[in-house]
Amino acid sequence: MSVLTLCPMALCLLAGILVGVSGGRWESSVHKITAGALIANLLLTVLICLQPSENLSLTLFHITTELPIAFAVDTVGKLFSLLIAFVWLMVAVAAFEYMPHEGAEPRFFGFYLAVAGILSALCYSGNMVTYYLFFEMMSLISMPLVLHSLSHEAIMAALKYLFYSMAGAFMMLFGLFLFAARGSDLAFVPGGCLQGMTGDMTAQVALFLMIVGFGTKAGMFPMHGWLPTAHPVAPAPASAVLSGVITKAGVLGIIRVVYYMAGVDALAGTWVQKAWAWLTLVTVFMGSMMAYQENVLKKRMAYSTVSQVSYVLFGLSVMHPVAFTGALLHVVFHSLVKDTLFLSAGAIILKTGRTKVSELAGICRQMPVVMWCFTLVSITLIGIPPTSAFLSKWYLAMGSLAGGLPVLSWLGPVVLLISALLTAGYLLTISIKGFFPEKGEAVDLTPCEPGWHFLVPMVVMTVLAVGLGIWAGPLISVIRQAAAVLF
Amino acid sequence: MQYSFASLCGAGLTFRIDGFRLTFAVITTYMWLMTTLFSQEYLAHAGKKRRYYFFLALTYIATMGVFLSNDFFTTFVFFEVMSLASYVCVIHDEKPATMRAGGVYLAVAVIGGLVTLMGLFLLADAAGTLSFDGLYDACRGLAADPAGRQRLLIAGACILFGFGAKAGMFPLHIWLPMAHPVAPAPASALLSGIITKTGIFGILVVTAQVLSHDPLWGFIVMLLGTVTMLLGGLLALFSVDIKRTLACSSMSQLGMIINGIGMQALLGEENALAVRGSVLHMVNHSNLKLVLFMAAGVIVMNLHKLDLNEIRGYGRKKPLLMAVFLSGALGIGGVPMFNGYVSKTLLHEGIVEYIELLHAGEGWSLPFLSVSGATVLFSVIEWLFLLTGGMTVAYMTKLFICVFVEKNIDPAVQAAYDEKKPYVSRLTAWVLGISAAVLPVLGLFPGLTLDRIADASQGFLRGEPPAHAVHYFSQTNLQGGLISILIGVLLYFLFVRILLMDKEGHYLNRWPAPLDLLTLIYEPLLLRFLPMLFGFFCKILDRLPDLIFRVLPKVAGVCCRVLDFSLDALILVFRKTTHRQLPDPGPSPTGYFFAFYVGGFLNAVARVLNRTILKKHPIVRNHVYSLAEREAMLSQTSRLVSASTAFSLMMFGIGLMAVTLYLIL
Repeated sequence: MSVLTLCPMALCLLAGILVGVSGGRWESSVHKITAGALIANLLLTVLICLQPSENLSLTLFHITTELPIAFAVDTVGKLFSLLIAFVWLMVAVAAFEYMPHEGAEPRFFGFYLAVAGILSALCYSGNMVTYYLFFEMMSLISMPLVLHSLSHEAIMAALKYLFYSMAGAFMMLFGLFLFAARGSDLAFVPGGCLQGMTGDMTAQVALFLMIVGFGTKAGMFPMHGWLPTAHPVAPAPASAVLSGVITKAGVLGIIRVVYYMAGVDALAGTWVQKAWAWLTLVTVFMGSMMAYQENVLKKRMAYSTVSQVSYVLFGLSVMHPVAFTGALLHVVFHSLVKDTLFLSAGAIILKTGRTKVSELAGICRQMPVVMWCFTLVSITLIGIPPTSAFLSKWYLAMGSLAGGLPVLSWLGPVVLLISALLTAGYLLTISIKGFFPEKGEAVDLTPCEPGWHFLVPMVVMTVLAVGLGIWAGPLISVIRQAAAVLF
Repeated sequence: MQYSFASLCGAGLTFRIDGFRLTFAVITTYMWLMTTLFSQEYLAHAGKKRRYYFFLALTYIATMGVFLSNDFFTTFVFFEVMSLASYVCVIHDEKPATMRAGGVYLAVAVIGGLVTLMGLFLLADAAGTLSFDGLYDACRGLAADPAGRQRLLIAGACILFGFGAKAGMFPLHIWLPMAHPVAPAPASALLSGIITKTGIFGILVVTAQVLSHDPLWGFIVMLLGTVTMLLGGLLALFSVDIKRTLACSSMSQLGMIINGIGMQALLGEENALAVRGSVLHMVNHSNLKLVLFMAAGVIVMNLHKLDLNEIRGYGRKKPLLMAVFLSGALGIGGVPMFNGYVSKTLLHEGIVEYIELLHAGEGWSLPFLSVSGATVLFSVIEWLFLLTGGMTVAYMTKLFICVFVEKNIDPAVQAAYDEKKPYVSRLTAWVLGISAAVLPVLGLFPGLTLDRIADASQGFLRGEPPAHAVHYFSQTNLQGGLISILIGVLLYFLFVRILLMDKEGHYLNRWPAPLDLLTLIYEPLLLRFLPMLFGFFCKILDRLPDLIFRVLPKVAGVCCRVLDFSLDALILVFRKTTHRQLPDPGPSPTGYFFAFYVGGFLNAVARVLNRTILKKHPIVRNHVYSLAEREAMLSQTSRLVSASTAFSLMMFGIGLMAVTLYLIL
């Protein structure tokens, strides 16, 4: 049964290669292959999630005698993989309508599928070497998604993305070396293997480097720079998954490092925790503030992602079970919300060609369904009850207060709420302007709703984003279960 | 009765029905019923009815949720839904002024909600529960030590911020005078009548459960309430817009209620009067504003005008409208036999009772004021309360006289107003009549109606039962009411008629326009200054890593180039210093000074000539060489000559010596 763990990856990689190398020959079946592969991926992932975790570990081969490429499945991995497989499929459906307008579909969907496979492997990695291997592959293979349009800006942005990814990866690698030098075998052990090593400076520096390194993918200050550059130029579906999903690969990396390699006991109370928490709070505030002042819609979303993913990181940095629950909840909710937001931005670009916020007056009358989804997920992201992100913020704040770090315990919630206010400022204003354009403004009101390819995924994700806030019981209990082994 | 839905919204939702909750659930339903019926006619010609009714219903559900909630989490969930849903009702006509007012409403709601949320975080962290059942005991334990009390006070202040904003409390009242006039009249009635009460509900719960009998808390709330009621009354007095006047009046009445809530905490064990007064004033004010806003709505619906100078005289010869408005005006003015009088009397009695306590030397424990100082302060507050009551009478008189007594300045307009034609549908007339009839019933039989409501409600608010039944129509109580009415009459004739009207009888808005917290402080601060300041820092933070990454390779490049070149440089240095090679002779003018310089000069001249006049036959000869040749020949010749001369001289010398020797020898 353990081979099952590799099936989603193998399937997606093969499908990706098939689509990619086919070139223009089977242009017509690209969509069918992609859809088929991603549906199969989702089903396989569900199947894996239903299996007991013990049956799913396997070691593929050894790089050196001490470094195995190994896979192991746990609750956190299951949660991430399920989320990723689902969102990947949803965004792909919208891409079927969006990508013909960008052209070069076989290339796009080829890489798109390949990244899905890699991400699946990432979720099921059993040790840091495996994780690092697939993490690097993900950076490289997702780059063509950014430079898809092959314009000068796109290529420069892709290079920046690559540069930041590499810089982060090398920081991580360096940390990994330092860590390995401690004699650890780099396997993921719930609760970590550094207990009793408090005050070990080398290990702390190594951990900090790894956190900042993975933080690059998660858009944490000071390594957030690639996000606002890469998003506006990438095709909307690519931005959606970059922002909604690939940033989460960084989050998963940090979870693995902090909770599965070091362990809470080794890090709680050290300078690493404090510095990390401060960095996340700076990111939360800075991201929202920049989004508030940004006029290009997709760039605004990108800054919003910078801010929101750092909510998650803040929750992780608190190292309290409640905050951990909030962080994982926010991973799920932010993925759904941000992908919906980017798909709305894609629909707007596709149908009207408008990219700036200042041009969006009256847009909600033109595409009511899209913008209703946009508005509802905006309300969710702000955290207005009873929508889902309210719940995650509730857990984050309660965890932060209960965590009891000096200053940070109350400053964290304050920053989160100020950022929520800014979120209202940069998202609700779009909806308000869109639904109620000022009289006398020259506004185009011709209806231009996109087709079902866009609407179905958006509505599904919106319903989930709002509904999961009201019926979050099962999700919370799953996350509690995952957290229970870590603390 | 208690209901809980533990699986919903993560933390679970809990509801409870008791006397207080039942009262407000009934009032909410009653008000929604009336306003929805009234909306039928009011919005008959407006567009987007489906949207309006959908959000109206959503607001109803949320408001019910707030009043029935049994923990702060549930309260907050429904409170936020209510804020957002009512926004859509407020901005129904989508005019620019409406959008602006709606924007302010939404901004205050969102900011207030977030601050309240912070307060709830702190409270949940400190007390460990948000349930109204467990909160009281948990907070009693905490309040015992100063640090715990401080945490509760901070949490309470944060919670007060959001709920106070909804209740129109100073300094967060800004949305209230803006949003009411622009909203459709039924929505204004709900906004003013019941939605503001959800804010009061939150403050009441904090006062009763979290910080019960805390004097500092009571003092702060009481002061804020006093400022709110005065400011509201003053704004209403100055306003020349019928709905704005009513909105400011709401603010003033809510200030009275908040003042009463403050008194609850200050009075401690003896707070029966304050508790009953604030609850009953909530009930009464809901009913009053329902009537008044619907009456104003009838005028707006017919005329689409709000300005007092334009609607002046409209109500003449319309007995139904006049009766309805009059009962509302008398009720809110606190005239005996009407409902407002009862609750205002109780609130006033609460203050009087506290002053008596102070005279007896009890009840004052705050450090920053002596007991005698406090006595003076509260006597002032008592008079301010009566003054506010007077202002209520004055601005209601102003509205009533303007609309129902005076004639319009333009006789043609008045003639049109006086035309006999139906101005309300039968349904609306019934709605108005029933709502108005409730007011004197409540006022005439307080023992049967209002007292029972108060009895049912005080348990939830932890009010002690009153020591004796209040005789509303006793001489002392009537006296307080009459003082207020007297102040009101004086204010009307001395202030309104003289200062706020010009000679022709136009109503003037003499409120200085710059005196507006919104445009004076909040907008510049929140929309310009703070974003600019933080935006600047954030931009720096945002660009900094990029800049470093851009500069770093350059700096590193320079360093590496230096390293790369360093060995070469070392060799070069040695070659120039210690291991210097023999100098290269190079071309030098040795020997042929003349040829070198003159030839060079001639060459230069020749070059100049070649470029200018001798273009066709340039001089190609190098003068240095030719001159050097000549110079060499010359020097050779001269050497030859000089050599031959010397030889001759030597030979001559030798010959001379030989001759000399010969001669000597």
